[in-house]
Amino acid sequence: MFLSAAVRSAVSQTARHVRSLHQSAARAGAGGIFVHRDTPDNNPDIPFEFTEENKKRIEAIISMYPHGHKQAATIPVLDLAQRQHGWLPISVMNKVAEVLEIPPMRVYEVATFYTMFLRQPVGKYFIQICTTTPCMLCNSDSILEALQNKLGIKVGETTPDKMFTLIEVECLGACVNAPMIQINDNYYEDLTPKDIEDIIDELKAGRVPPPGPRNGRFSCEPAGGLTSLTEPPTGPGFGVRPDL
Amino acid sequence: MFRLPVVSRGLFPAPITKGGAAVTHNVRPASAATAAASNLLEVFVDGKPVMVEQGTTVLQACEKAGMQIPRFCYHERLSVAGNCRMCLVEIEKVPKPVAACAMPVMKGWNILTDSDKTRKAREGVMEFLLANHPLDCPICDQGGECDLQDQSMQFGSDRSRFTEGKRAVEDKNIGPLIKTIMTRCIQCTRCVRFASEIAGVEDLGTTGRGNDLQIGTYVEKMFMSEMSGNVIDICPVGALTSKPYAFTARPWETRKTESIDVLDALGSNIVVSTRGGEVMRILPRLNEDINEEWISDKTRFAYDGLKRQRLTQPMMKNESGQLVPTSWENVLTRVAGALQGAEGKNIAAVVGGLVDAEALICLKDLLNRLNSDNLCTEEMFPMAGAGTDLRSNYLLNTGIAGIEEADLLLLVGTNPRYEAPLFNARIRKSWLHNELQVSLVGKEVDLSYTYNHLGESAKVLQEIAAGTHPFSQVLAKAKHPVIVVGSSCLQREDGAAIMATLSAIAQKARISSGVEGTWKVLNVLHRVASQVAALDLGYKPGVEAIRKNPPKVLFLLGADTGCITRQDLPKDSLIIYQGHHGDVGASMADIILPGAAYTEKCSTYVNTEGRAQQTRVAVTPPGMARDDWKIIRAISELAGVTLPYSTLDEVRDRLAEVSPNLLRYDDVEEANYFKQAAELSKAVNQTVLTDPLVPPQLTLKDFFMTDPISRASQTMAKCVKAVTEGAQAVDEPAIC
Amino acid sequence: MASTAATRVATGAAKVVKPIFSRDLDEAKRRVRELYRAWYREVPNTVAVFQLDITTRQGRDKVREMFDKNKHVTDPRVIDMLVIKGKMELQETINVWKQKTHVMRYFRESEEPRATDFLSKFYRSHDP
Repeated sequence: MFLSAAVRSAVSQTARHVRSLHQSAARAGAGGIFVHRDTPDNNPDIPFEFTEENKKRIEAIISMYPHGHKQAATIPVLDLAQRQHGWLPISVMNKVAEVLEIPPMRVYEVATFYTMFLRQPVGKYFIQICTTTPCMLCNSDSILEALQNKLGIKVGETTPDKMFTLIEVECLGACVNAPMIQINDNYYEDLTPKDIEDIIDELKAGRVPPPGPRNGRFSCEPAGGLTSLTEPPTGPGFGVRPDL
Repeated sequence: MFRLPVVSRGLFPAPITKGGAAVTHNVRPASAATAAASNLLEVFVDGKPVMVEQGTTVLQACEKAGMQIPRFCYHERLSVAGNCRMCLVEIEKVPKPVAACAMPVMKGWNILTDSDKTRKAREGVMEFLLANHPLDCPICDQGGECDLQDQSMQFGSDRSRFTEGKRAVEDKNIGPLIKTIMTRCIQCTRCVRFASEIAGVEDLGTTGRGNDLQIGTYVEKMFMSEMSGNVIDICPVGALTSKPYAFTARPWETRKTESIDVLDALGSNIVVSTRGGEVMRILPRLNEDINEEWISDKTRFAYDGLKRQRLTQPMMKNESGQLVPTSWENVLTRVAGALQGAEGKNIAAVVGGLVDAEALICLKDLLNRLNSDNLCTEEMFPMAGAGTDLRSNYLLNTGIAGIEEADLLLLVGTNPRYEAPLFNARIRKSWLHNELQVSLVGKEVDLSYTYNHLGESAKVLQEIAAGTHPFSQVLAKAKHPVIVVGSSCLQREDGAAIMATLSAIAQKARISSGVEGTWKVLNVLHRVASQVAALDLGYKPGVEAIRKNPPKVLFLLGADTGCITRQDLPKDSLIIYQGHHGDVGASMADIILPGAAYTEKCSTYVNTEGRAQQTRVAVTPPGMARDDWKIIRAISELAGVTLPYSTLDEVRDRLAEVSPNLLRYDDVEEANYFKQAAELSKAVNQTVLTDPLVPPQLTLKDFFMTDPISRASQTMAKCVKAVTEGAQAVDEPAIC
Repeated sequence: MASTAATRVATGAAKVVKPIFSRDLDEAKRRVRELYRAWYREVPNTVAVFQLDITTRQGRDKVREMFDKNKHVTDPRVIDMLVIKGKMELQETINVWKQKTHVMRYFRESEEPRATDFLSKFYRSHDP
């Protein structure tokens, strides 16, 4: 009786911890569902126009592809639009379709396929925390907790001041510097909960802290210092026959 | 046992290859004919040799060898997607199974369509497809004609290993015609490809990725196409089914009658499914020359109009001017009396757009026997110049399939997209694959392909004829030019002038193209099914003659456009309406004779190409309605001028006497008198007007209700409402 | 040769067919008379039992008419067969296995012949 209750609670515990593949936070952040519903902040009437600068960029992008293949520029132009607007409401996608002279559906297809195209509003700083195995082993859970405590939001939420959005993502390819987070385009690596406090404070103060490892090492050098190539590199002509 | 042929192939592969090589060696020097044959590759399907062209896919090679490969995403009229993986087959000495639909064959390949590996691959794919497919076949409308059902019976496993939950997808509302149950979708993308390639309406797409991939429109939107219903046919599962047909019948309960459609002038081939004397649905039938395997939405969904607004009893006006039902004896005696009592010149007849050739000939013979020759069609056609004397003047001479050979198309005052959707699909096909250049004179409309708009007015045509328009140079360079004029612009006062100008342009283009003898340039695109047969039988186009000499007795045979009204006739004149729907014609008639609609009679129609085809009896006419020709034959007997035929065969013999091509079913009787027509048209001294050429059907909402049947159809009314107010405006029964 | 022989054998065989009841025409005629008498006696009874709206005389005339219908038959086997059928009818009538309508069918056929001219066919149905 007790045993079965214990087992059941254990099962339900583990079940709660199992994360289903197609409910990852990345999806939730990118819009969750793959149909559009008009809402006050996402509808075809939201005004959007590319800036003059971006229009020139679009021209340059389109010119990279052969004549009649403007569709090829869908991804870079969508990216441009997202950088300009922060995320991709339906009106922005329609604008991209108009600029590229392709049916809107073809843009929707691309935008819904890629998780990095954000079809739901996000804050100014879009924080993606990696919790895949290597980061998890390096205690990404403490980082996540620190973030949640610092920002006062849970995964998948945006702060009321529309400054920060936090989501949990799968591996971002910086396992050697685990644990890490990505804020907009910048990777912040080798983090401790203390670093999180600093980074968020900096951002709140309107400064962007320098990206990269926070424990002092350079790039992705070994964490315990170099084990080889420790001397300065030898000059030219090293080990070559003197008569040459 | 199954492997036996494979083993034998495996044991002796060398001798066969050698033998094949030896044969080619021997033959090659012998004749030049085999040089062309050397483009062919020899491949083997289960050891059986088959010669195929370079670039043939494995699936096509197997088809050629008579072996059907199971498939879901592959469709021969759509581009290859290769995403369902059902067509995986093993190829000898190739390490992995290949997708037969997407893989071109290579020389000497031995395709094993029934090996263990192939069967295992199919079973595996089927298992994955079924992982997310609901087990709702008993309540699914596709049940019984479902590719997934059939193929899982044939190739699938007999048990499931999945214990996980299934994915569910939200249903979309894409209009009042197509019901979507997206959970059943297996993402073959046939509908997406159909929409973008055939229909030219890029509303459908795939959104999301992986397990969450779904087909839809992303935004709430109706699938705005005039041939949207075809996605129901190409959907291999029950994800897209027909809304009007939902839960009404099962395919094995219905009786199928091969017939043709008369709601436009193309005569698309259809299958009428009936159950218990009721038309349950209409499906397309393959005819490469006309509709390929598509039909328009009007053809497919207007059938509910056959059950509404029908005339089921003979009716006569009583003393107080009310139409009251009466018996055939009474009404026929009255009609016969009226016809006998009137002089020949006081009798006239107008025939409408849905009338069959048998009724046409009977009516003509009857009136001729009563010394009247006032037989008109509702549709005008300019009689100046050659008029309807030369058959090539009023046909779509190039033919529907002929558009695929053309390299330049000039559309004049027509919107083929809604006047003849399947013809437009051909143009789009040619525009997509054969670099067809399209130009348009007339009101600018969305044709689902790009075109060069030359101008709205017919004045542009004069400029082209005179050679002063830049387009005349383009036309002069064309190898296979085609000009298609819409019948609507010939209804205008300056119809003759337009026709004469076009005749001159066409004749010039024929000479400059260098294919004068065989290629036909000038085409007329009709809008109603009866027109060509009526003109073949010698009816006068247009009701001008009747307006000038108002008759005492007017016989309307299915004439429902209201081109003659009571105001055009003397006060005491009698209007007899014979037809199947209570529409414009019936509402102004004194006497109503209920006839049969196209699904209820075996009759002949000639399409705009001049191709005679026949409809078949799918259901009996409702109530006391009778076949049209029989009604006229009965009147003739009572009027004392008995027509000398009393069976369908005898009527058809009479048809053959007048115009033999009407009985050469499924053949196009060609006509080629353009030179003479061009000469004759020079005599036309009429000037073209500057008004823009505006076809009557401009947008999709104009497409659905054009004739008595589709005007009576609730489905079509819903379509119009959905197109104008959005798909959500149409309330649906809650059972879906 | 062989075929003529076969024919001869066949005709010979036809002449010596097995009788049903009667060995010659006289015997057959006797059976007919017996049947006629039986019917003649039964008619008043039938009219009463079935409550027919005919007189006995009319009934007897009808019986005679029915017999006269086959008066050209001379083959004893055929006559025998007709007699058997007549007896069956009689038995059905006596035992009231028939109903009134069946008896009255001797007097008038209830089905009307179908029209063959175009107009009548037109008035009658969709499919003349």
